[in-house]
Amino acid sequence: MIQSKIQFLNVTKHFNNNSTGKSSRKDTVLENLSFEVFAEEFVCILGPSGSGKSTILGLVAGFIKPTLGEVLFNSKSVQRPDGSRTLVFQEYALFPWLNILDNVAFGLTTKNHKNNHAKEKALEYLNLVGLSAYKNHSVSQLSGGMKQRVAIARALAVDPEVLLLDEPFGALDTQSRESMQTELLRLLSKTKKTVLFVTHSVDEALKLADRIIVIGAKPGKILIDTTVAVSKPRDFKNLQLSEIRNKILDKLTHPDIFMGSDI
Amino acid sequence: MRIALIRIIFFLVLFLIWYLIVSIGHVPSYIVPSPVLVLDSFYHGFMKGGYLLAIYSSLIRVLTGYFLALSVGIITGILLARYYLLDITFGKIILALQSIPSVAWVPLALLWFGVTDNAVIFIIILEAVLPVALSTKNAMKNIQPNLIRAAQTLGSRGLHLYKNVIIKAMIPELVTGLRLSWAFAWRALIAGELFISGTGIGQTLELGRSLADMAQVMAMIITIGVIGFLTENIFFGSIEKKVRLAWGLEGGN
Repeated sequence: MIQSKIQFLNVTKHFNNNSTGKSSRKDTVLENLSFEVFAEEFVCILGPSGSGKSTILGLVAGFIKPTLGEVLFNSKSVQRPDGSRTLVFQEYALFPWLNILDNVAFGLTTKNHKNNHAKEKALEYLNLVGLSAYKNHSVSQLSGGMKQRVAIARALAVDPEVLLLDEPFGALDTQSRESMQTELLRLLSKTKKTVLFVTHSVDEALKLADRIIVIGAKPGKILIDTTVAVSKPRDFKNLQLSEIRNKILDKLTHPDIFMGSDI
Repeated sequence: MRIALIRIIFFLVLFLIWYLIVSIGHVPSYIVPSPVLVLDSFYHGFMKGGYLLAIYSSLIRVLTGYFLALSVGIITGILLARYYLLDITFGKIILALQSIPSVAWVPLALLWFGVTDNAVIFIIILEAVLPVALSTKNAMKNIQPNLIRAAQTLGSRGLHLYKNVIIKAMIPELVTGLRLSWAFAWRALIAGELFISGTGIGQTLELGRSLADMAQVMAMIITIGVIGFLTENIFFGSIEKKVRLAWGLEGGN
């Protein structure tokens, strides 16, 4: 039997929307969401903005708590972030006061991952993303694509069980975006991880995922949950892929489901 | 180098104009002293040690007040950032206090502490605590939430998170607050010293006034300007620039 890594059990999430200061209106971001992710699976969560995709990652990471229901990691309720589930942000979130090497080594200086050879290990990971030559550079000297490589190296350096990526290539131009996708697949073939990848690009999901979960907006519900049993790297002329794509696009363009979708 | 040369020539010309106006116009030295008399006042003041002692006493006074203000200000800022209720009440008083010039506190300070060092230190604290409290509050509120989340998911929390992320993220804004605070402290020091006894730059200036020794008054005004410029712009300015560079907030040109 395949091991279940992450489980969402009837998860509902409200956010108190009192930014206006007057009425405290409750915003239901996720409603009664249930799914599970298996070990070493690459799952893409696909959906328009406002569908609560990022909230799902926050719940898995542990810095967001469910209003109702439960999120399990290795069959235990998620308590708080601890380095076993690392997150890569769209805007990199690198520490500007640290150089590139120290950014990658950051997780290795924490109690959970205390490592006396933090710098050597960080250099290994920097090497893995092809940036060891930039180890003494500052964050601001790097391009967007390079920053994201550093962020991925930083997230992998603590050897997490789950890698969470929140639209990681959304801020990159098309060309670096494509090369980063290939790069990510290459990295993951070396370090077996369970991956939860949030995107709003159908093609990105089709290129990367073993399984695609399509979420609808307001409140977020699962519309499609489909396995993509096509070997990687993928050729978009593949018949099975175009079938899945059509199925997804059909749902996504349905006017009842996506009002004001940005896809 | 060229800029430095232009500056030196500019100051020499200024000096010459000052000299010519005073000597040709026969302005009495108790109204405007000749630059030669001011130089003479500097020479004797420093040779006999009077000016050095004055500067030393003033620096001790301002540093005492400044560091006390920093400790109070940083703690206040953290509390304001963490407790909303405190911010909307006490936080607003701080904003109002900021519009009161330090001299306005002098009568109260003299009444409470007499014509002593403590009166001046009190004024300095009142004046310098505000910018540092506000910048601490803002620095804490402006930390990008994703920086903290990234650190947490990498396993950082508690003291490690504070030491390696929260404080580090606050530093650029904090340094600006420290510089502003110093500038306020320096002005409050001179204002306060005009009214108290003992040695100091302000007292020396006030003594010059009562003896109609305008050369001494001018010498002290120049001293205040030079020390203020060196500390505010050269010392704090270079720290601020270094931090902004290291934090990637400014390009490396």
